[in-house]
Amino acid sequence: MHRVGIVGAGSISRIHAAAWARLPVKLAGWHDVVPEAAVAAAERWGGRAFDSLEDLLAASDIVDVCTNVTAHPEPVLAAAHAGKAIVCEKPLARTVAQCEEILAVCTERQVPLFVAHVVRFFPEFEAARRTVQAGTIGKPGMIRTVRAGGFPRMGGGAAARRYADFEQSGGVIMDVGIHDIDFHRWCMGEVERVFARGLLEAGVPQCDHALLVLRFESGAIGHIEASWAHTPGRTRTHLEIAGDQGLVAWDSRDPASLSWRTRADDMPMAQNALQEADHPYFAELAHFLDCLDKGREFRVTPHDALMAVKVSQAALRSIRTGQPVAIADFRE
Amino acid sequence: MAVRMGLCSLDHLHAMSYLACLTEVLDIDLVGIWDEDKELREATAQRFGTQACASLQDLLDRDLDGVIVCSANARHREHVEAAASHTPHILCEKPIATSAADGQAMLDICRETGTKLQIAFPVRFAPAVAEAKRMLDANRLGRVYSAACTNQGFNPGRWFVDREQSGGGAVIDHTVHVVDLLRWFWDTEVVEVYAEIGYSFFRPNLVIDDAGLLSFRLANGVYGTLDTSWSRPEGHHSWGNVILELVGSEGVLSVDAFRPHLDVTAGTPRRSHWLPWGRTPDHGLIDDFADMIRTGREPSISGHDGLQALRVALATYESAQTGQPVALDHG
Repeated sequence: MHRVGIVGAGSISRIHAAAWARLPVKLAGWHDVVPEAAVAAAERWGGRAFDSLEDLLAASDIVDVCTNVTAHPEPVLAAAHAGKAIVCEKPLARTVAQCEEILAVCTERQVPLFVAHVVRFFPEFEAARRTVQAGTIGKPGMIRTVRAGGFPRMGGGAAARRYADFEQSGGVIMDVGIHDIDFHRWCMGEVERVFARGLLEAGVPQCDHALLVLRFESGAIGHIEASWAHTPGRTRTHLEIAGDQGLVAWDSRDPASLSWRTRADDMPMAQNALQEADHPYFAELAHFLDCLDKGREFRVTPHDALMAVKVSQAALRSIRTGQPVAIADFRE
Repeated sequence: MAVRMGLCSLDHLHAMSYLACLTEVLDIDLVGIWDEDKELREATAQRFGTQACASLQDLLDRDLDGVIVCSANARHREHVEAAASHTPHILCEKPIATSAADGQAMLDICRETGTKLQIAFPVRFAPAVAEAKRMLDANRLGRVYSAACTNQGFNPGRWFVDREQSGGGAVIDHTVHVVDLLRWFWDTEVVEVYAEIGYSFFRPNLVIDDAGLLSFRLANGVYGTLDTSWSRPEGHHSWGNVILELVGSEGVLSVDAFRPHLDVTAGTPRRSHWLPWGRTPDHGLIDDFADMIRTGREPSISGHDGLQALRVALATYESAQTGQPVALDHG
C-alpha cells in the first residue's frame, strides 16, 4: 500500500487528508515549517509528525505538497530527487522559471507529477467539457466562466496576509483565475494571447479582481472573471460554452437540489448534494492513484500546470502594460 | 473477483441506463443480456460489449451472481420465478408486479430458494434524497407535519399504456417511487389514501390513466399529497421530476432530486434541455446491488418494500373508483 506524506498542514491539506482517508493508502505523516501544525494534523488525521522534510520523504512513496505557492518548489524538487511520486496543489509554482525547473527535474528523474487543478474534477465542469468533446454543441466559439468570492480568510491572520501579499500569492489571477485558465485550455486548447484588466495595481487592501480576455489558437474566444471583491460566502461559479451547433451552461445560482430553512439556522440554506465518489477533492486523488497504479497519464499533465502559470503571468503582464500578451513567446 | 451480472429484457426504459452503469462500475462483468426481440438484443449487446443470449434460460445458465429484470410489469413474476432457482441475487424493476398476489408469489419463491430480491428504487440514491434522509434522522425539521410531493413525467407510450402489460398508467408508474422514499424516511407505512385520477388528459385516445393526485396519511401522522401525472409535454426541458416539500415544526425542506443540471441547447430541431451532472441515481443503485452481492448483506431495498409500495398504488385506483379514502391494513 502506498505511504503518503503531506507537506504543509494548512487548510487545503485537511481537505486532502480527508480524501486520502477514503483511499487505499497509508498516511505516513506530516511535515510543516511550524512543527506544532504538523503535530496537530497528525493527531487529527493520523500518521507521524516529522521534524525534517528528509525524514518525511524517507517514510513516504507519495509526497503531497500542500504548502503555500512560494513554498512549492523546495519540497517538490526534494521529492523528485528522492524519486517519489508527487501531488502538488495548484499553482505548481509562483513563476514560470520555477515551473520549468520542476518539469526538467521530474522528467530527468522520471517522477510522476500531478498538479491538483481540481476544477477538472468538479462534476459540473467535467460534464460541460464532456458535452463539448462529444460534439453536442458543434465547434466551440466562446467560453465564459466566473469564479467570484470574498477575500480568502481561511487559516486566520498568517494565511490572509500571504494572500494579500502579491509577491507571495500572485493575487486573484494566480490563486483563482488559474482554475479557469486551466479549464479553458482543457476545453478549447492552447491560448494564443491574453488581455486583462484588474485591481492589481489599484491599491485596494484585501481585495482583488480581474477580467481576462483570451484568444485561443483554434480561433475561439474566452472570458474569465476572477474575484476576491465579492461579498464573503460561497464562491459563485458560472460557465457557458457556445458552439456553432448549441450551447451548454451552468450557474451556481440556479436552484439547488436541496434547500431548507430551520428555526435553528434562521436563514435560507441550499446545497447540491453529491454522491461520495463525485466529491472533487476525492475524485482528483482517486484519479491520481488509479493513473499511478496503471502507469497512465494524468488528466492534468505537468505541461498543463506550467501553461496555467504561464498564461496567468501573461495576464498579470497585460494588466501592467495595458497591452495584449502573446503566450508562445512570453518570458518573465 | 468480478461480479457476474446479466440483464433480462430491455422492455423498461431504465434497461439502457442500467447497462451503461454496469459498464462503468468497477469489478462487474456484464455476462449477457436477453430480450425477446432478437434484433434489439443483438444490437444492444454489441453496443455494450456483451453477449446476446438466445433465450432467458441461456442467460440464466451462465452462472450469474446477479440478474436485473427489466421486463414489462406484468412479466416480472414469470421472470423472477425463472431466475430465482438459478441466480442468487435479483434486482427487479419497479413496480414489483401488477397485482399484490403476483408480488407476494415473487417474495415466496425467493424465500424458498434463498434468493435475495431487491427492487429498483434508484431515487433513494439521488444525493439530495440521501442527504434529506440524514437531516430527518438528525431531527432537523422537528415534528414533520406534511409532505407535498411530485413525481411528474412524460408519457412513455409503448407497453406502459397497455393495462394488460403495465397494470395501469401514470399512477402505478409513479406512485411507487415516492411512497418508497416516505416509507424509508420514517420507517413507516401509508395507512390511508384518497385519490383523483384522470384519463387521457395529456394525450388523445388514451384508455389508461395519465393523471393522478393522491392524498395520503402515514402511520407516523405525516400527511401529504403526490402528483404522479404524465404531464410533462414533449419538448419540455426535462423528462420529469421527483420533488418533496416537507413542512415541520422546526423548519421546511425542499428536495429536488434531479437537480443540479447543465442547461444544454442542441439537437435538430434545436431545443433546450436539462442535463444532470454527477453520478446518476441509477449508478448508485447498481453500485449498491453489486455491493450486496460482494458482501453477502441483505438487500437495502427488499421485495417487501416493493410490495408495500405497490399496495399503495393499487389502493389509489380503488379510491378513485369508489370515491372514498381507502385504508391499508399492515397487520
